[in-house]
Amino acid sequence: MEQKPLELILARNFLTSLSTPAFLVDESGALIFYNEAAGALLGISFEESGRMPAAEWGRAVGPVGDDGEPMPIEEIPTTKALRRGRPAHGRFTVRSVRGDKYDIEASALPIVAEGGQEGAMIFFWPQSEGARNGG
Amino acid sequence: MKLKVWGARGSIPAPGPEMNRYGGNTSCVELELSDGSTLIIDAGTGIRSLGVGIARHLPKVNILLTHLHLDHIQGLMFFAPCFRSESEITIWGPSSPEASLEERIARYISAPLSPVEVRELPCDVNFRDTPPSEWEIGPATIRAEAVTHRGPTLGYRITDGDATLTYISDHEPGLGAPLESLEPEWISGYDLAQNSDLLIHDCQYSDEEYPDHVGWGHSRLTDTLTFARRVNARRLLLFHHDPLHSDEFLDRFGESAQEGWSDLGGPDGAVEMAAETQEIEIAPAKVAAART
Repeated sequence: MEQKPLELILARNFLTSLSTPAFLVDESGALIFYNEAAGALLGISFEESGRMPAAEWGRAVGPVGDDGEPMPIEEIPTTKALRRGRPAHGRFTVRSVRGDKYDIEASALPIVAEGGQEGAMIFFWPQSEGARNGG
Repeated sequence: MKLKVWGARGSIPAPGPEMNRYGGNTSCVELELSDGSTLIIDAGTGIRSLGVGIARHLPKVNILLTHLHLDHIQGLMFFAPCFRSESEITIWGPSSPEASLEERIARYISAPLSPVEVRELPCDVNFRDTPPSEWEIGPATIRAEAVTHRGPTLGYRITDGDATLTYISDHEPGLGAPLESLEPEWISGYDLAQNSDLLIHDCQYSDEEYPDHVGWGHSRLTDTLTFARRVNARRLLLFHHDPLHSDEFLDRFGESAQEGWSDLGGPDGAVEMAAETQEIEIAPAKVAAART
């Protein structure tokens, strides 16, 4: 597999060290890593789930809007960060593999290297105590 | 290719009788290519002695800088060919969105830090901002990749014929990363260093010292050995010695390195401590095997 850009390597190392749930996506929106805290929220570790294309992780975990329907892709902070190269923030609901739903706020930050956009980091803040404890 | 170490020390020059065997000059190595031409990697204080020897013999010089920390450029102003009008010097170094390579180096070679300005150097000097890329110099293919350190920093892979040297003088691949188990594509410098005949790599700290220096951009012994084993380097030269490490300390450090290397399944005799004036012939694997 092709060597990851240094910026993504450092981002993954950084997210690994955090207690805040976080995703790392590449420039195509594919989910290439998430940390233990995010795994606790989702009910499955990254080591178990592995890399997922954007459409696949969208189907697996959401997000869904207030009406319970999948959010339009253009409204998802990750999409905004990747397409516009700008930070984006939003509130929505995600699902765990156990079927639990969590209301969260998410901030997506694009990772832009000298050669162009490499991906984005997405940080999640669960809105309920249960979600914060990953249960 | 033939390599000579002119400076193996990191951070700051470390002269003194207790440093004589491994040397106190900061990072600089000279590489003689198969056609007799010379590449210089890093311009720490070691380049001063190198320059004294070559000033009259080498009108064209290529200098590859890994990064612009002072211990890697401090010798530039004392590099004799810079003061000869016949010299043509090309300096390659990491690109930055902040300023050109020349502008960044000129911060050092300018008042009040220097009595001369870059533009006053008698030689014909040109600066090449180098993004991660690959190009040719003489018979060699040079590949530069960004590596984990503080600030824009390159590692270099130099291939001449079948022989390959990878030089990563300042590197902390284990920062936040479990090197022994991480997938290769997620290891800084992995692709660059893979299957090198000689890997010159940062090994500034012992495992005991490292907890006080996490994030400083330098590697501890275990991580350097693990990295070298993961990339299948045939030979490893431990580099960028800490300025506090005396000859006696480095002797013991080298013994620990041998033990650690052996514990990781590395072949005997493949790990050495870099020392000033050390000369190494970099032979490709098939030639080395034929000689044994």
